[in-house]
Amino acid sequence: MIHVIWETIKVQMKNSWARPMFRFTLVASPVLNTVLIYEMFLHSGRHDATSYIILGSGLMGLWSSICFSSIGDIARDRYMGVLPFLFTSPSNYNLLIVAKTIGNTVLASLTLVISAVTAAGLFRLTLQIPHPGLFIAALLVTIAGFIAISIPISYLMLLSRKTGLYMNVLDIPVTLLCGFVFPLSMLPSWTRPISAVLVPTWSTRLLQLSLRITPDWPAWRTTLLWNGGLIVVYVGLTALFWRVIEHRVRQQATLEVNE
Amino acid sequence: MPMIKVDHLERDFVQQNIHWWKRTSTIVHAVRDLSFAVQPGEIFGLLGQNGAGKTTTIKTLTTLLLPTAGTAQVNGLDVARDYKAIRQHINFIFGGELGLYRRLSARDNLLYFGSLYRLPLPTLAKRADELLALVGLDNEAERLVETFSKGMIQKLQIARGLINDPSVLFMDEPTIGLDAMSVQNLHKIILQAKQKGTTIVLTTHYLHEAEVLCDHLVVIDQGQKVAGGTVAEVIDAGQKQVPDTAITSLEDAYIALIEGGGTHDPRHLGNH
Ligand SMILES: Nc1ncnc2c1ncn2[C@@H]1O[C@H](COP(=O)(O)OP(=O)(O)OP(=O)(O)O)[C@@H](O)[C@H]1O
Ligand SMILES: [Mg+2]
Repeated sequence: MIHVIWETIKVQMKNSWARPMFRFTLVASPVLNTVLIYEMFLHSGRHDATSYIILGSGLMGLWSSICFSSIGDIARDRYMGVLPFLFTSPSNYNLLIVAKTIGNTVLASLTLVISAVTAAGLFRLTLQIPHPGLFIAALLVTIAGFIAISIPISYLMLLSRKTGLYMNVLDIPVTLLCGFVFPLSMLPSWTRPISAVLVPTWSTRLLQLSLRITPDWPAWRTTLLWNGGLIVVYVGLTALFWRVIEHRVRQQATLEVNE
Repeated sequence: MPMIKVDHLERDFVQQNIHWWKRTSTIVHAVRDLSFAVQPGEIFGLLGQNGAGKTTTIKTLTTLLLPTAGTAQVNGLDVARDYKAIRQHINFIFGGELGLYRRLSARDNLLYFGSLYRLPLPTLAKRADELLALVGLDNEAERLVETFSKGMIQKLQIARGLINDPSVLFMDEPTIGLDAMSVQNLHKIILQAKQKGTTIVLTTHYLHEAEVLCDHLVVIDQGQKVAGGTVAEVIDAGQKQVPDTAITSLEDAYIALIEGGGTHDPRHLGNH
């Protein structure tokens, strides 16, 4: 099982890296985003501007890579005609999807580094990390959350062929709704419930919390609970979708391109 | 015991027709009351016109599609219920250039698809090299599939199909679009796989190919079987359709059977 996961991660990384679009999202877009968000915050006078600039563009990149790749990968597997083989192999397809998403996430983590380097190089901004341990913990929770949310979303792709639509619907709105690049208090209040059920909102908050000089433990606890709770919900959704998919795919023949 | 047993198999599709103002759906009976058996170690052919239901039958047997009615068993296991157990022991290839990771090398493709069958890496690496040699791609093992010709892709497909040492290999039009030399080459590979004991089910539109390769075959027309048996038996069945003309080849028999078999019910049973 470990072997299958590892091989899938490797194949995934090779396949993704071979795509120019993926390399662009990974390398060029964090640079552009950092510059844009820097301009946005230039006159804001906020003390946490730096963290929004670096983390914001990093998270945007991370999200785009995961969102576009995980969803797009199913479409690409379909177009290359390998989906039927993955689906009917004795390995559990869920496992393959998790492994693919891990592969993307590992590659996508580069965006955080690139954002930090850009901010340092162009604007002499560096992220002050008072508690590296907490920051890393928050980052791991973030990555787990991103993986957890992208799987049920990508499963919708197995049932439908409107892949491009979903990808575009998800990319920018999530960036805005989850507070990657500006505080959520700037959004109208009707968006709050939507933000609340999207785990990246809470990952972002956790990352912001981890940068405080004196840790705010009660806030940590609530935020962690939200992260954990939502991850459990997404895993539940994944299991639910899977049960539907496994049957529907065989009943309705949605694995191929042209039928 | 037969390796494959298909019993009164039916498979319908719901086809969506989108008009300007409304959607209607039509039921298509892709496979109707189809029965046949495949013996272990033989090459079995499915013949029929475009849309006859060959691919649908193969997809049902490879657990990609559920039967609408009837049953099908592979190695004594039911395709609808025991699909997980079946998957370990079969593999399939579709003709054409799809079904491989184009941005990976030939060898990486084999290693990856092999790993899905939970083979230990040393076994897998050894088998991948053997198969690359079998299909004559040992010198191109490290090349990316996107640089391959159709014939090379097809050979690699067969290697991929054999990577888990399947009891049954299903091949849907394995020689489509290949030149004469490549076809000959593929036939040799298919016969070698048979020699090793693999049961092979294939579809083809080249009747000469069926004649050369198949131990038994069925001719399907509009989802229904119109004849079946050995090549000689199918030729006899064709001869019965046209008693006044001498039928000597599978091709003539096939045409006689398809032309004579046009007494079916309409397959599109209206809107609903
Ligand atoms: N996913 C699907 N949805 C709707 N109809 C389908 C689907 N797959 C196949 N059909 C229909 O079922 C019938 C049988 O198709 P099938 O692909 O099995 O034929 P075939 O014998 O493989 O033909 P060919 O020689 O052209 O490959 C056709 O009428 C086809 O249009
Ligand atoms: Mg077909």
